[in-house]
Amino acid sequence: MQHEIHNKPDFASLHITFDEGDSVVTEAGAMMGMSPGLKMETNMKGGLMAAAKRAMSGESVFLNTYTASESGQRLDVAPASPGDMEHVALDGGAVVVQRGSYCACTPGITVDSSWGGWKSLKAGEGLIMLHCSGTGDLWLSSYGAIHCEEVDGTYVVDTSHIVAFDESLTYTVRSIGGLKSLLFSGEGAVCEFSGKGRVWFQTRSAPSLAEFLQPFRKLQPKN
Amino acid sequence: MNVEVSHRPAYALATVTLDAEEVVVAEGGAMVSMDTHVTVETTAAKKEGQGLMGGLMSGLKRMVAGESFFQNKFKAAGTTGKVTFAPKHVGDIVTYEMDGSCELVMQSTAYLCSAESVEIDAKWGGSKSFFGGEGLIMLKASGSGPIVFNSFGAIKEIDVTGDFIVDNGHIVAFEDTLNFTNTKFGSGILQSILGGEGMVCKFTGTGKLWIQTRNPQGFGEALASKLPLRPN
Repeated sequence: MQHEIHNKPDFASLHITFDEGDSVVTEAGAMMGMSPGLKMETNMKGGLMAAAKRAMSGESVFLNTYTASESGQRLDVAPASPGDMEHVALDGGAVVVQRGSYCACTPGITVDSSWGGWKSLKAGEGLIMLHCSGTGDLWLSSYGAIHCEEVDGTYVVDTSHIVAFDESLTYTVRSIGGLKSLLFSGEGAVCEFSGKGRVWFQTRSAPSLAEFLQPFRKLQPKN
Repeated sequence: MNVEVSHRPAYALATVTLDAEEVVVAEGGAMVSMDTHVTVETTAAKKEGQGLMGGLMSGLKRMVAGESFFQNKFKAAGTTGKVTFAPKHVGDIVTYEMDGSCELVMQSTAYLCSAESVEIDAKWGGSKSFFGGEGLIMLKASGSGPIVFNSFGAIKEIDVTGDFIVDNGHIVAFEDTLNFTNTKFGSGILQSILGGEGMVCKFTGTGKLWIQTRNPQGFGEALASKLPLRPN
């Protein structure tokens, strides 16, 4: 199987050329183009519970699996929002993925939801994060460009910008600076990672775009 | 302080590398990530030793200019450190090295971060900026050192010698060696309205001017008509 990401970082899309028998699992609605011979199956991967948990983590309940009946068939995948995509190769390891950032993976990777704990609630993120583990390829997507930082020691990332991180990293949620910064810095909460591993973060956040558009909305007429 | 800009132009990110004990001042909410030993201080005061009232005034002026009341000071404590900043909107980032020879005038939302030696002040633009459809207040940077600003869309640098006309919604920043006057587009009011250009700015003199390839007002209006009405 060959795969390439084109048009990074503004309008990234994933282009896969299969060998016979290869499969790729994608989020519902992510297929942009495909060879007609490709076999597509829609299912609640992992059963009802896993699907329900996925729904809670802001991902689709149904996932699509594409399997090649012969070599050379292709699949083109596009995420919903303008922005970047990133390929992550897993070899028995695991990454934790922020809600909405999962795009596709090979079947060797188990996508499960994990309880982020109360600290993820404090971080203003979903309570449930996706836990992707196993061996194979994983593709992430985001609004904005995706930037990878190799952490060795400690590193701080604004919570609204986190896309994914290696499970080998531990994290705590805190505010930056003192009390005054907590109230007035406009920075919200940050995640402090420690250990050795990668953190992927996005250079823009969708809520900021929504906030920008809000004042342009027309007002409802008064009754 | 060294600034590197990546992921240009749509989703630009500024990576600021600080020497030990060096400080970078940034717009509230702009920090994306940083080294753990970088300390953050939130302040309304624009310079060291400015009293409570002075700090309050500069905070208020910044707020009127459309920036946040408070600014954050990031300091690399003990050893060299890195902080990354991103603007809220889609667009590019430019670093400008101030050498004290001229001041830089910015549209109010263009400011991202700057060296501590650069002073940022809100400036009353006068009636001409009001009629230009921009905020009443613009930002003025003086002093020396790097200043980083952002645009909506891609950014284009223009070396003006003589005259140049820019649509008001596309102005990002300019060196104050340039003079500007607001004028309507075309020869008459009708042409100005029908041409869809509204007011334009005419720059004269010699200096650098930065324009943005998209107009935030235009983008907001284009999308807002497709959004549900806002409760009154």
